Amino acid sequence: MPALPRDQVRGAVRAGASARAEVPTAPIFKAGERVIARNIHPIGHTRLPRYVRGKHGIVQRHHGGFVFADTRAHGLGDQPQHLYSVRFEARELWGEGAIERNALYLDLWESYLEPEGSS
Amino acid sequence: MNGIHDLGGMHGLGPVVREENEPVFREEWERHVFAVLNLTLAAGQYNVDELRHAIERMDPARYLQTSYYEHWLHAAEDLLDAKGVVTREELLRRAAEITQRSSAAASGTSHSQVSGAPSGSRAPGAGRLPSE
Repeated sequence: MPALPRDQVRGAVRAGASARAEVPTAPIFKAGERVIARNIHPIGHTRLPRYVRGKHGIVQRHHGGFVFADTRAHGLGDQPQHLYSVRFEARELWGEGAIERNALYLDLWESYLEPEGSS
Repeated sequence: MNGIHDLGGMHGLGPVVREENEPVFREEWERHVFAVLNLTLAAGQYNVDELRHAIERMDPARYLQTSYYEHWLHAAEDLLDAKGVVTREELLRRAAEITQRSSAAASGTSHSQVSGAPSGSRAPGAGRLPSE
């Protein structure tokens, strides 16, 4: 991994380095679309929490392309993917005891998601 | 990985306690850990995702009993060893040196103050045996 050039250190300390990156393919999902978080259990690094796996949600917005943590954590490169904000109802995650109007928004990479009705 | 870090939805951990005007650093060694982490990241020794995964690989019981900066220290030790930058043997040797000089200083036989050594308390991760 390249070192941060001297002239970029000040900016990176102040504002952080951006994880945005170009993705060569078009986004698969769009806002309003129903999706399911994949029920996957990778043994390596993942940013997909256990409690959301297999749960249904709705894409709120497309954030753009971002480098993929799951590959970067293992020296497998940036492999940028589209990132989405996905809304999950509290009752979908925590059952009927949850407060009805509560919901959770998670930023999830495209490979964490599948379209509803595909499985 | 399905590790201890993925706490979402877990019961029994108690409330999130927020402290007003919480200090960034409680102990001098935390300041050093913060610097080491940021400098090694900027030097390209590893990235933030490798750092997070190194923390996830901590022993689960130890993970729950240690602080944020201890998690960082663990990750730095683990990754710098894995990348051959600072080996576990070098770390243990240096930690032993500092401990020895600190105790010598405490007993009044020292010639100089050890700079960088945590005052009084040793940094909690330093000198951990590889098997721990």
